[in-house]
Amino acid sequence: MLYPEIVVAGCGNPLFADDGFGPAVIEELLRLDLPDNIKVLDAGLGGPHFIFTLLDPEITKRLIIIDIADFGAEPGDIDIFTVEELPAGSYRDIHSWDLTEPLQRLKDVIDITVIGCQPGKVTAPEFELGLTDEVQNAIPGTVRLILELIGVDYGTAIKNLRKEGHQRDTDGETCAGES
Amino acid sequence: MSKIVEISPTTRHEGHSKLVLKVDDAGIIERGDWLSITPVRGVEKLAINKTMDQVPKIASRVCGICPIAHTLAGIESMEGSIRCEIPTDAKLLRTVLQCANRLHSIALHNILILPDFYIPGTDTKINPFTPEEPVRSVAKRIQRLREIGQTVGEIAGGECIHPSNPRVGGMYKACTSRAVTKMYDLAKEGLVLAHEQMDFMLAVINNMKKRDWVEVGGKQIPLPKTLGYHNQGVMAAHPVYASTNLDEHPGWDPKRWTDVRPWDWYMGEGETSLADPSYPIGGTSPVGIKVNPQMEACTGVPLYDGAPVEVGPRARLVTFKKFDEKGTWGQHIARQLEYTDSLYTMINALDEYNPAGKVLADHIPQGDGSMGWAANEAPRGTDVHLAKVKDGRVLWYEMLVPTTWNFPTCSRALTGAPWQVAELVVRGYDPCVSCATHMIVIDEDKRIVAQKLIQ
Repeated sequence: MLYPEIVVAGCGNPLFADDGFGPAVIEELLRLDLPDNIKVLDAGLGGPHFIFTLLDPEITKRLIIIDIADFGAEPGDIDIFTVEELPAGSYRDIHSWDLTEPLQRLKDVIDITVIGCQPGKVTAPEFELGLTDEVQNAIPGTVRLILELIGVDYGTAIKNLRKEGHQRDTDGETCAGES
Repeated sequence: MSKIVEISPTTRHEGHSKLVLKVDDAGIIERGDWLSITPVRGVEKLAINKTMDQVPKIASRVCGICPIAHTLAGIESMEGSIRCEIPTDAKLLRTVLQCANRLHSIALHNILILPDFYIPGTDTKINPFTPEEPVRSVAKRIQRLREIGQTVGEIAGGECIHPSNPRVGGMYKACTSRAVTKMYDLAKEGLVLAHEQMDFMLAVINNMKKRDWVEVGGKQIPLPKTLGYHNQGVMAAHPVYASTNLDEHPGWDPKRWTDVRPWDWYMGEGETSLADPSYPIGGTSPVGIKVNPQMEACTGVPLYDGAPVEVGPRARLVTFKKFDEKGTWGQHIARQLEYTDSLYTMINALDEYNPAGKVLADHIPQGDGSMGWAANEAPRGTDVHLAKVKDGRVLWYEMLVPTTWNFPTCSRALTGAPWQVAELVVRGYDPCVSCATHMIVIDEDKRIVAQKLIQ
C-alpha cells in the first residue's frame, strides 16, 4: 500500500538553507523502525503533486506535515498548526486547474497536523546548503513530537530527547507508555 | 494594427511562466513569446567542488515534479565523466524506475489537461473531479495508475519522490524476488488500466481534433486545425530511457548544441494594448503594462544544429517510431501512446532482471576531469546533464532540461492561433518551468546573461 493509515511528510527544499528542515526531520525518522501503518517520506517540493492529491481517505486517516513556518517566533521554535491556520496558497497544487488547495479538499476527511519550525534563514531563490544551528537543534524535539503524535514510544531514547527540552510538552508528565 | 496581450501567470503547470502575444485585429497571434519568470538560480555553481555522489541529489531538488529524471541524469553524467560502466541488473532497475516515473507523470498530466477537453458528442467540458460517471471511473483509473507508478518507483528506487537507491556506480540495493514479483503484478495490472486509459484519452483528443471551436472565458473561440504546428525539428536521445557518452552509438551529441541569449530570441520592449478580464482565472494583464520578454526571460535558448527543437513524447515517437502527427494534438496523442510503452518496457526489464545479480560496479573510478554527459528521456523530454569529475569532486556541471529546449519552440508554435487558445499549446508540452530556470547567471552589471556552456 503506497500511503497507509498515517503519513508523515517532510516538505521543503534543502537547497534553500532552513527550508530543508522537513526533509532533515524525515532523515532522522527513517533511522527508526516504525510500525507498518506509518509511512515517513521526504516530499521535497513534491508533496502536492505526489502525495496530497493521491491520498485515499478510506485508508489514510492522519497526515502529519513537517515544514518551516514563519509565525514570528525565535528561529528553531516549533509549533503545531491546522490547515485553517495556514496562509492561502500553502501546498497549492499547481497541477490543479482551479488552483484549489489539495489540503483544503482533504481536511474534513483526514486529520491533518502541520508541525512548523520557525526558520532562521531561507535563501530562496539563491541556493545554499545546510540548516542554521537553531533549526538543526530543533530536529530531536520535532522527532519526539511526531513520535508522541503517532503513539510510538522508544523508551530510553525519548528520555534523552526530553532532557534537551525541545519537545512541546515540558510540564514534566511522563510519556504515554512510560512508567 | 498589432496589439499586445499578456497572460501572466500561465496556469496548470509547474513553476511560473507567462505569455506575451502580439496579435492582429482578429486576435490571431502574429508573434508569441512564452517565457519563464521563475527567479533565476544557480545549481551549476553550487555543484562545483561537491562530491559526485552529492551533486545528483542536489540536482534532484531543482523542482518538485522531476526528481527522478534529474537523479538518474545527474548520476549517469557522473558515470559518463569517470567512465564507469554499471552492472546490467542495476541498469534494469533504473529502467524500471524510469518507466514508473513516466507512468505517474502521464497520468498526472491527464488530470491537468482534461478540463480543456470535451465529453465526445457534447459541448460539455470534462471536470476530472466530478462524482458523476463516466468521468468518475476515469478519475479513479488515473489515480490507480499514479499509485502503481509511485509504488513501483518506490520499490525500485528506494523512495517514490526522491529516489534513494540509485548511486554512482549502480544501485545501493538489489530488489528481492518477492519485490520483483510485486512490481511485476503491479505492472500487469497497470497495463490493463493503461490500455483503457489510453483508449479513453485518444477518443477525447480525436474528438477535439474535429471541433471547430472551444469555449474560453464564456466565448466560442475558433480552433485551428494546425494548432501548435511549428517548423522546428525534434530531438530525442533514446526511445524510452537514456543515452550517455559511454554508449557505442550515443543518441545525443554535445557538439551539435549551442546556446543563445534571451534577447537574441525574444521580443523587445512593448506595452499591453489588449485586455480581456473574462479570460479564465483572473483575466489577462490590464492595458498599459510594460512588457520586455528579452530582459524578463529567465532562461537561455539552447539550439541543436543551430535551431530550437521540440523535445518530449512526440519528439521520441517521431525520432524512433515514424510518428507523423503534428502540433498540440500530436503531442497529446504521443503522450498517451507512451502509457503502454512504459509498462511494456517495465515488464521486459523485470523479466530480464536477476535478483541475485550484482548492482554495484566492482570498481568506481574517481575521474580525471573528462567531460561526461547523460541525456535522459524524462517524461517532458530530453534532460541532459553534463559533468566533469576529478578525484571524486565535480569541477563543472550543467543541466539542460526539457522545458528549456521547448520554450523557444513552443513560442514559434503559437503563431496563427487565436490568442485565447495559446495556453492549450503550452499545455501540450507539459511544461516544468522551475527546472528550466537555472541556466543563466547575473553578470557584474546585474544583467542576466546566458551562461557559457561548453568551454
